Amino acid sequence: MATSSAPTPKVNRLGLQVLDYRGGKTTLCAGCGHNAISERIIDAMYEMGVQPERVMKLSGIGCSSKSPAYFLSRSHSFNSVHGRMPSVATGALLANKNMLGLGVSGDGDTASIGIGQFVHLMRRNLPLIYIIEDNGVYGLTKGQFSATADIGSKLKSGVINDLPPIDTCSLAIELGATFVGRSFSGDKKQLLTMLKAAISHNGTVMLDVISPCVTFNDHEGSTKSYKYMQEHEEAISEAGFVPSFEDISIDYDPGTTYDVEMHDGSHLRLRKLHDDYDPTDRVAAVKALMEAHANGEVLTGVFYIDPHKPAFTDMLNMVDDPLATLSEERTRPSKKVLDEIMAEHS
Amino acid sequence: MGHTFTIGIGGAAGQGVATPGDIFAKIFSRRGLHLNAYNAYQSIIRGGHTFLTIRTGADPVTNMGDRIDLLIPLNQDTMDRHLGLLGEGGACLYNADTIQPGTHAEGVQLCALPVSTLADISRNKVAQNTIAIGAAISMMGIGFQSLEDVIREQFGRKAAAVADENVAVARAGYDYATQNFRPFARPLPMSDNRYAVLSGNTALAMGGAAAGVKFYCAYPMSPSTGVLHWMATHAREAGIMVRQVEDELGVVNMAIGAAQAGVRAMCATSGGGFALMSEALGLSAMAEIPIVVIDCQRAGPSTGVPTKTEQGDLWQMLGAAFGDYPRVIAAPLDIADCFTLLAEMWNLVDKFQVPGLVLADLLLSEGRLSVDPKVLDFAPHVDRGEMITSPNGGPGEGGYKRYKITESGVSPRAIPGVPGYTHVVASDEHDEDGVLISDMFTNTHKRRAMMEKRMRKENGIAAAVAPPKLQGPADADVTLIGWGSTQGVIEEARALLAEEGITANQLQVRWIVPLHGEAIVEQLKNAKRTIIVENNYSGQFARYLRSETSFVADGHIRKYDGEPFMPHHIVEAVREQLAGGVTLSVPVHEIMV
Repeated sequence: MATSSAPTPKVNRLGLQVLDYRGGKTTLCAGCGHNAISERIIDAMYEMGVQPERVMKLSGIGCSSKSPAYFLSRSHSFNSVHGRMPSVATGALLANKNMLGLGVSGDGDTASIGIGQFVHLMRRNLPLIYIIEDNGVYGLTKGQFSATADIGSKLKSGVINDLPPIDTCSLAIELGATFVGRSFSGDKKQLLTMLKAAISHNGTVMLDVISPCVTFNDHEGSTKSYKYMQEHEEAISEAGFVPSFEDISIDYDPGTTYDVEMHDGSHLRLRKLHDDYDPTDRVAAVKALMEAHANGEVLTGVFYIDPHKPAFTDMLNMVDDPLATLSEERTRPSKKVLDEIMAEHS
Repeated sequence: MGHTFTIGIGGAAGQGVATPGDIFAKIFSRRGLHLNAYNAYQSIIRGGHTFLTIRTGADPVTNMGDRIDLLIPLNQDTMDRHLGLLGEGGACLYNADTIQPGTHAEGVQLCALPVSTLADISRNKVAQNTIAIGAAISMMGIGFQSLEDVIREQFGRKAAAVADENVAVARAGYDYATQNFRPFARPLPMSDNRYAVLSGNTALAMGGAAAGVKFYCAYPMSPSTGVLHWMATHAREAGIMVRQVEDELGVVNMAIGAAQAGVRAMCATSGGGFALMSEALGLSAMAEIPIVVIDCQRAGPSTGVPTKTEQGDLWQMLGAAFGDYPRVIAAPLDIADCFTLLAEMWNLVDKFQVPGLVLADLLLSEGRLSVDPKVLDFAPHVDRGEMITSPNGGPGEGGYKRYKITESGVSPRAIPGVPGYTHVVASDEHDEDGVLISDMFTNTHKRRAMMEKRMRKENGIAAAVAPPKLQGPADADVTLIGWGSTQGVIEEARALLAEEGITANQLQVRWIVPLHGEAIVEQLKNAKRTIIVENNYSGQFARYLRSETSFVADGHIRKYDGEPFMPHHIVEAVREQLAGGVTLSVPVHEIMV
């Protein structure tokens, strides 16, 4: 008699199941784009075989910033203050550069109260994946416009936004981020591919993910609704990803596809969907963003990538070991050094 | 304090007041003399009026004193402003080509230097300064060699020709003075002691380094910038990660980020920057991440007087961040204490996982003091508290609880990345394992328990810090109460009062929080007359002491003109108050800077 045993659960290269990457039960609204993003983060971390304990989740305040509780329960998490995650992340990763930093922010957290911190973070090229869960409104305070809301877009109450949006992607490109893209929480394949490539990158990854707010910004007149995104999303390229631990001999057409070798040996393949697309050209990237915006399209995909620029932590002449775990005798200047310094004062 | 000798050097910013000051400081400290230097200046790169007071003596010199013995005006403005400060026995060295003396007190020696005949002024732009230094050294009874050594050191071997020329110019001044001027009545003594000359900012930075600070970040702000300079200069050799950050919001949060990862992280600022940091102090307390923030106070409010001193940030610090939270606040008593305090502060904040705030001021930060190297402990005891940096068998039954409720209020702190000890750090109220309790349902019982857990740390902190002790005779006529940087000047005022037959003792407060109010009141209960001395308008410490203990002092001496107290300010105010009728004295600063 044939016996059927329970199917062996699927595991990744570390022998971990997708379960090992899950988090607590979400408290966000059903259908919130942020939940879909959490799911893609779980998938990307699982598929890339990242040791969960090596991840440091960082966030600010807002609906977006709550979401780290809903993925990677086995990772360290720091829920900081509104708009201040960029500096907390910088300090944390300078003190322990062995951690993989994953920052989750929102459009209010990034583009308003934290814009100063965001701008300076982008300049540093700190090795950090910085995700903006972008819905154009403040959810927890019940639906005021944020600074990424499009001019002319309408609140449920009928209020029209009278100021132009801040485009976090063109800002990030101009300021020196080395991996900049936009995606849509409803575009599973694109978002997952971009997140996997992000994990392979050594430098600042800035991903603006349009993530509709079903409660306050999913109506007619919103430019951050599911419907609007389905009608206006325009991908600049189609992304494929081959991780370093898989066979990379899959064919591609160099005439239509950019092959980017990532820091860890993985390959990001970007098939052109726009004629003059060149993900290594910052000026072209910003131009494409501005043109799409003028045409009422929401451009998505990887806009700009530079896998070669040294990351902040590589430029600072730090010791190989993380500062946070140096032994006590190494945390203080030697007597010789202090004696030399004292000699200057006598 | 025994006999002291004071030089005042003044000129416009950019005229080179600092260099003669450095030269005198080196010569004095190498003679084994103590010194105290204070520079009065303005927020300007060129012009304005800078007046450096450098006072020296065989005994410790705790403040700038009351008298100037030698005035070196580098321009007419300085001559006009300060010649009147000289009394009998004093002297003024000036460039006779460009400066006219004014009226002066009897017994003042006017020493006109014929600068253009002593040096080629077309070649040497600072000839008048160098000649004056040479002349001063001669009149103080110091051999020329000590000056020559310092000049050669300043220019280094590479610029031997320039050094030769400056030595020759200094020599001309020295010889001219020997032949033409009357030396000071008491030549400067010598001793075999050797002191280091430190600014408060240098002492704060070195104190941090000695305590094992591994991460320092700052936004430049007078008068705290010297700490950043020291850190940036010595980052490489001392192995400290030093960053200049976009603003103080970034600074303090970056320090918190680094601290939660496991390092000792520190930052320094002044009142305006501290205002921006307030928000994050709550985060430090709520997330139980220890950091040390130094506020080098300057005269406020707002931009205020960036180059002037004040003790005006006490209530800002007491009220910083919203909500109730445990913290430690201390005000160093002098420049050496800027060094010593940091090791103590770090052990406290690490042990109790709270923010530690240091209330320094411009007087300490930018002043310079001779410090006996023996008091600078470069290997102070380091206690990081209960920290978990490796798995060591794991947390055991029930798993790791970052915010475990304990008797002491302190929960063992695991750094990120330790397997088995991953946890959530949150600015929201949370339960023992870090899970937010502001989500979905707030839990009143948990909230109360967590609040009480954090606040219980105050008991441990109080027990770890000694109350202040009364200095001087127990049955004194008057008790002077001060805090922080006024220690030295009050001490000297007491000595001067004693000469007049008025006995005074002193209660100097170093730990602001915990205050030990009951112990203070106990010590003050037999005081005949209490007077609180502080460098601000409203009596911030007097109000704090009253709010904590209901203690009301008999009188107040307050100064808020931007300049520090001089001993006679306190002496005269005490005299005035003892005579009766006056309970608030506001001394007038006679030196116009």
